[in-house]
Amino acid sequence: MSTTIFKVPVGPQHPALKEPENFTFYVEGENVVKVEARIGYAHKGIEKLMESKTYLQNIPLVERICGICNTAHTVCYTQNIEYLYEKPPPRRAEYLRVLIEELNRIHSHLLWLGVVGHEVGFDTLFMYVWRDRELILDLIEALTGNRVSMSFTTIGGTRRDLTPQVEHRIRKGMDILEERTKYYKRTVPIDPTISARSKGIGILTPDEAVQLCAVGPMRRASAIKEDVRKDDPYAAHDEVPFNVISYDTCDFYARIMVRVDETLESIDMVRYCLDHMPSGPVRIRLPNTPPVGEAVSKVEAPRGEDIHYVRSNGTDKPARYKVRAPTLGNLAPLLQSMTTRGRYEVNVADIPVLLAGIDPCMCCMDRMLRFIEPSKGKSWVWTMEQLKKYTRKM
Amino acid sequence: MSTSNEEHIASEVKSLLGENLLEVKIPRPRRLFLKVSREAYKQAAKHLIQNMNINHVSTITAADSGKEMDVMAYLFGRGVEVTLKATVPKEDPKIPTLTDIVPGATFYEREVFDLFGIVFEGHPNLERLILPEDWPAGVYPLRKEYKVTRLKGPREVE
Amino acid sequence: MVSWSRAQSPWIVHFNTGGCNACDIEVLAALDPRFDVERFGVLLKGSPRHGDILVVTGPVNRQIRDRIIRIYEQMPEPKFVLSVGNCCNSGGVYRGCYNVYPGLDSVIPVSAYVYGCPPKPEAILGAVAALQAKIKSG
Repeated sequence: MSTTIFKVPVGPQHPALKEPENFTFYVEGENVVKVEARIGYAHKGIEKLMESKTYLQNIPLVERICGICNTAHTVCYTQNIEYLYEKPPPRRAEYLRVLIEELNRIHSHLLWLGVVGHEVGFDTLFMYVWRDRELILDLIEALTGNRVSMSFTTIGGTRRDLTPQVEHRIRKGMDILEERTKYYKRTVPIDPTISARSKGIGILTPDEAVQLCAVGPMRRASAIKEDVRKDDPYAAHDEVPFNVISYDTCDFYARIMVRVDETLESIDMVRYCLDHMPSGPVRIRLPNTPPVGEAVSKVEAPRGEDIHYVRSNGTDKPARYKVRAPTLGNLAPLLQSMTTRGRYEVNVADIPVLLAGIDPCMCCMDRMLRFIEPSKGKSWVWTMEQLKKYTRKM
Repeated sequence: MSTSNEEHIASEVKSLLGENLLEVKIPRPRRLFLKVSREAYKQAAKHLIQNMNINHVSTITAADSGKEMDVMAYLFGRGVEVTLKATVPKEDPKIPTLTDIVPGATFYEREVFDLFGIVFEGHPNLERLILPEDWPAGVYPLRKEYKVTRLKGPREVE
Repeated sequence: MVSWSRAQSPWIVHFNTGGCNACDIEVLAALDPRFDVERFGVLLKGSPRHGDILVVTGPVNRQIRDRIIRIYEQMPEPKFVLSVGNCCNSGGVYRGCYNVYPGLDSVIPVSAYVYGCPPKPEAILGAVAALQAKIKSG
């Protein structure tokens, strides 16, 4: 049987442009038998740059590693430096960090849900969810002063405090979002489009999830009940109660439902933080130069475990700073979930949905697919739209 | 007096490696730093991962400390994040791969190879991961010798 | 006549060079306030050959450089380039990284800049409106 090769280039571009692909799919018949990934198109050299900036200057840099998971990186970073000083921030700051983290998680999960909705063709879901996102962004702006990338957390605590007016707005916002998310929770499982495009699709067994070191919702959708907030509690997570959500169907549907349920958990956590917010200062001042040493900090970002490592050499700049963002941790599991093996079949028709499952950036979603059929000496290009039309005919 | 998880793990590795366990640090709860010799690195990792069920590889990275580079594997299990560290000399930057024990280590080792030039012996496809295609071979940006030079675009006028 | 009809519905090509996505969220908020999917499709999938305004976000790095130049060259005249966000304008927070150019304008000509990290949707919309006026006036 001849093998057809799908090459999936990066970004929206004209078919005639020859560009390095970031995903190559090897297909036999309708089955995807192998996937290769080439990443790095967004590599900038941040870790090197961090060595030439002070610890405080590095906060906005760390934050912009990902505009959607920005809170996770800042909390992870500031914590890490505080570990070097062996001085925790005030308790109120730790609660505020959980507050901003969970607001950020709600935003990230809703954004992802909208992307997935758009990709499976459930555009009503997409439009509703993206409208809800605006509500969260407004709340984040009220709390921190910016809709995105707000550097709310700093070394020693947070830069701003919660006011009664903002608290009131957040509470009202949570009521609205809870109602909406419960609506999504009711409609998503019974919607035939989503079920057809996600149930039994993209299986990653629990063993594979462990062997390939999956993180976050990807891991929890494979029946593994692990979450950094529970297993390695940080900030106020030792006190703020929540349930670790996991589903055991190990498919794409499970990944959707994990995020929907996590959104509901986050709403409750936000309310708990508001109800139990300790009084006191939000920041302690620390000297510019942390003690010599090393530290490891972990947080549960919306996409999964985020781990940072710092080495200080007695100056005001880090000797080494390492960031492993969650998405890289899920690359190997993702490739596995897109490969036909044993009794798990992955079809060409699943490609658009499974790809949408990892990529939040809308303009990266439009992909041109290059087809090569070596045995016939033919090559042609389809847009994502053409592929979808082809798969709908099947 | 009961030993903590961290102490228990450290003492097991000590019985296994003896003198090859060079340093133990427990800076805070759920954090254990183990420095081992390069020769004992794989054996220690194998024991932690396979026998002690500390089998989640959070990441693998490196740091340049002058004439040498530290390779650090971060393993999570039993409620502890263990940093397993081994040093390689710059003239011979090689260390065994962990991918045969934990396939999930594959991309992390490739990243270290790309940015530091450390060779993970036995890795099934040790290739460039994130640097651009036209990045010069043999230039490792995260080594201290590498000095960042300002990139100039085709339209830039002095 | 041509400039009038073009100004009524300029084809916008949105391209992210590899940034943190914050600007993209705001570009989408600015240019698709009602989340009309049809327009959404036009916005993002526009081929450069029909593009009037190229909206770019993110810092320009080595990997993306040739692609953005080619996309720019594919666009017919008259064409306009909008650089959105500090990273696109000058490298932003990433200025000094070994892989980042000091601004989009060191690679292709830029018609207008929107400052911010990320800029507010209103600022982006304002810049697009200003470019539309420029197209209209010939």
